[in-house]
Amino acid sequence: MIKLITKSLFFGIVFCLLLMSPNKIIAAETVEEIIVKANNVAYYEGKDGRSNVKMTITDAQGRNRVREFTILRFDIEDGKEQKYYVYFNKPADVQDMVYMVWKYLDRDDDRWLYLPALDLVRRIAANDNRSSFVGSNFVYEDISGRGLALDNHELISSEGDVFKIKNTPKDSADVEFSYFEVYIQKSNFVPVKAEYYDKQGKLYKIVEAIEVKDINGHPTVTKSKATDLAVGSNTVIDFLNVEYDLGIEDEIFTERYLRRPPRKWLN
Amino acid sequence: MAKLKTLLENAHLLRYSLFYLCGVQQVRLRVHLRMPCICTFFNSVLVLSFLIVCITQTPVYAGFKIGENGPRINGFFENDLGLKLGNDSTKRDEFNLFEQRLQIKTKLYPEWNKALVDWMAAIDAKADFTVDEYFNGRTNAQWRLLNLSLSPVGWLDLKAGRQVFTWGTGDYLFINDLFPKDYVSFYIGRDDEYLKKPSDGIKASLYSEISNVDIIIIPEFEPNTLFNGQRVSFFDAFQGGISGVNSQRTLNEPSQNPENAEYAMRVYRSFESYEAAAYFFRGFWKSPRGYLDEMNRVLFYPRLDAYGMSLRGPGLGGIANAEFGYYNSRQDDNGDNRLIQNSTLKFMVGYAKDLGNDLSVGVQYLFEQTLDYDNYSSALMGADYVWDEYRHLNTMRITKLYKNQTVRAGLFIFFSPSDLDGYIRPTMDYDLNDALKLTFGANLPWGEDTHTEFGQSEHNKNIYSRVKYSF
Repeated sequence: MIKLITKSLFFGIVFCLLLMSPNKIIAAETVEEIIVKANNVAYYEGKDGRSNVKMTITDAQGRNRVREFTILRFDIEDGKEQKYYVYFNKPADVQDMVYMVWKYLDRDDDRWLYLPALDLVRRIAANDNRSSFVGSNFVYEDISGRGLALDNHELISSEGDVFKIKNTPKDSADVEFSYFEVYIQKSNFVPVKAEYYDKQGKLYKIVEAIEVKDINGHPTVTKSKATDLAVGSNTVIDFLNVEYDLGIEDEIFTERYLRRPPRKWLN
Repeated sequence: MAKLKTLLENAHLLRYSLFYLCGVQQVRLRVHLRMPCICTFFNSVLVLSFLIVCITQTPVYAGFKIGENGPRINGFFENDLGLKLGNDSTKRDEFNLFEQRLQIKTKLYPEWNKALVDWMAAIDAKADFTVDEYFNGRTNAQWRLLNLSLSPVGWLDLKAGRQVFTWGTGDYLFINDLFPKDYVSFYIGRDDEYLKKPSDGIKASLYSEISNVDIIIIPEFEPNTLFNGQRVSFFDAFQGGISGVNSQRTLNEPSQNPENAEYAMRVYRSFESYEAAAYFFRGFWKSPRGYLDEMNRVLFYPRLDAYGMSLRGPGLGGIANAEFGYYNSRQDDNGDNRLIQNSTLKFMVGYAKDLGNDLSVGVQYLFEQTLDYDNYSSALMGADYVWDEYRHLNTMRITKLYKNQTVRAGLFIFFSPSDLDGYIRPTMDYDLNDALKLTFGANLPWGEDTHTEFGQSEHNKNIYSRVKYSF
């Protein structure tokens, strides 16, 4: 009897292994490995990158506002420090404005805002990561990433072709959500959806990838949407002309180029 | 359906526009039609046509291009209206700001010579055209910017021509930024952009691993724009008190010759997240701090050297800054000339923090000490006004954004416990859409004495509104 059970168990395992797709084997990875990979796919593809961004903010009454800017990114080390340069084109009253971030993992980011009308480089405090980015439904953290060490991560499902991971903040006083769940595609580790739950446990915000493309071997979200369910507003971002590994110089991300935008990377 | 939506949007706009127009009409009644009719008519036509353009056309957010590969033209059109709350002896009592302004700007990249391309040549041009109802519809055109930038080698940027120079760490407080400011614009409610006046000069920026250096040469002196009694009343020692159009001072500017060129330098670098800078300035006081001829009421701008330092970086969960400056009043080294401002010490600390929920606050403290004060006091004559040795000034800024950051409420307060004066500046901005913005604000200076910085303009309290269409 025992022999029979052992035998069937053995065949059962072999049968299962045979049926398993490569994706299923990946499922054996730990939750830490998954989120590190997903974080790298979302924020660290290539050594550097650039994209023209069109952001359409639609309020609850259906009125649209449009922001157009160019993002340049430079990675010091994958998964670690990186720099962002955001140059605004539209609307007209913020044209030539530049927002720059030096992102760290072990301390607050350094951030600067260049206001062209005043020719003023302003330092901005970096403790408002959950504030709206230029009035949209995206927050600063959605643009430059949320530190993985800030949350406890739990793999709650790996059914189908996505991992579903629950992220609970270690310090809930800093954030407006109680937890958020991220859906990560098994095939390429692209996070395709994040659902945020408020302190009462009610779903109130969704950030999702609408379109994912392969650009020079890099899986890339080219259209994404953030929806505020409570207010009824949403923001759609189109990432246009995404390019990687252009050789963007480290020195671009300095005060010098806030005042003198690097034309060759912005067109 | 789409048409209906556009129509509804326009109706929304129209509502606010009419509201604004009504505001304009009310002012008309208040001024009892004192303005020349032609000017009123001109203004109405401008405002109306402007509103019609705004309402009937889809906003042109990104300006327009001249030709296929031509330069992009951007700018704005605005109408400013500021009502005066107090009466004094300035030119008008009813309002001190009523003007239409058109700003046009462009950036050109001249490429007709290989050197220009290699040197990344760029021309920045920005011009303002104004119709100023305060002076009976006086028109004015001014280049705000007209300069050429070049980078002949990798470590050097040059910018020559008309440009706005500014540096330092203060918020509305300037220690080492000794470039010209327009305080009249500031007090009557023009946009912050107009606080900083352009200068004609050359700026060389040198970059290296060790530190960066900015060197500025201004061949022709440009003073601060200060109250002269025409639009804003002020303390005039010659009149023995607050003075308006009755002020009869003459301000003698340094003549244009190589000896009177101004020089400024900043050496700066970062240490981790902290930015440190050292400053040097050789030129003139930007305000007339010396009496040239008391009998004939002539003031002048004495020579000034300034040395300073600043530090800015993260601290206490926000951004902290500190700045120091030593002003050497070169024509009164010992401070014993009662007709010329003494050397002065200035020190400032500041702190700003985002409190989340689109709320941010900032506080600053400024300390000023007149040096060689004993020499100054003993040189004073009987009828002279006596200035204090120390001045303490605190400021606070609160900014809160509402409605997806389309509404911005701001409050800036100056308060000096030593001068017993202050200045409150509330503002409210509302973005009607990406192109059209409404601003309401007030300028409320007050003081116990008539001769202190804010106390002197106590009668110039005003509320203002601005409608601005950017393209």
